[in-house]
Amino acid sequence: MEEFHPHNDEMIFNADEAHNIVKECIESVLGKADYNHNKVNQWTAAIVEQSLTHLVKLGKTYKYIVTCAVMQRSGAGLHTASSCFWDTTTDGTCTVRWENRTMNCIVNVFAVAIIL
Amino acid sequence: MEKSSKTPKFSNAALEGGKQRESLSEKDSMKAKRRQSQYPPFGMAPVEEEHYSDSMKTKQFASRASRALKIRYANTYQLEPRNKFRDCLVRGKAQAILTNQLGEAKYDGLSSPSLCASISEEILRAVKELDFDRYKYVVSVLIVEKAGQAMKVASRWVWDAQKDNWVSAKCETETFIALALIMACYYE
Repeated sequence: MEEFHPHNDEMIFNADEAHNIVKECIESVLGKADYNHNKVNQWTAAIVEQSLTHLVKLGKTYKYIVTCAVMQRSGAGLHTASSCFWDTTTDGTCTVRWENRTMNCIVNVFAVAIIL
Repeated sequence: MEKSSKTPKFSNAALEGGKQRESLSEKDSMKAKRRQSQYPPFGMAPVEEEHYSDSMKTKQFASRASRALKIRYANTYQLEPRNKFRDCLVRGKAQAILTNQLGEAKYDGLSSPSLCASISEEILRAVKELDFDRYKYVVSVLIVEKAGQAMKVASRWVWDAQKDNWVSAKCETETFIALALIMACYYE
């Protein structure tokens, strides 16, 4: 009878690492750009895909969900809330807020552990 | 099923072969069926066959003197969830919750944060009540005030496309737009 040991016994989501990764992605895509309605589609897709690629490269056994909201700055309010039903010891979330003169960007990363 | 207290150390257990094993109580979010085992610790001596012919999930206890308690599950041989995530049901429930709570509300900078949080908790409760097998959920709610601005929300994920799924529900009023995203990830 074989004893199966999971790859990493004490797997914890590293929120700081994720935060840095996402921040770099946002800055590389949005950088010094001003809000442009035609390009928003490209931007959000690029931010999310790049963040996801970098997170997956960390090589951890996690499923990732990345959500990005880009909004034009007009003094309007925006509220987001999330609730999760998961294993709090292994799973985690990270939110990155970024803004410049013309737009706001909020990126949420949710990481759900899997056991191989 | 009884919950019980801490396991004796491995070296002691080796001497007390037939002693009843006890374990630390489990984390709340992980459900596990438990029963007090009268068998020797896993990996020490060959375990009797009847222990494995049981089709229910059983927890096997293993303790190390220096390390924290490790819990290992016996195989259930179940590759699919018994009650699979059905997006039509969830969408209906989420839409109903949004329209009930927000149908006649006006955007207010002070009350919206708590409203947002309470809606997401309510949606999570409703989805849990539907009782799908072996799923973890992430519910995200956005409330945006209408002020003539444009907004784009994009999501991507890395997951099992056959078993994981997502649902979105929207509610629009004169002063604001509410968007709810519910994601379900299979976990075994």
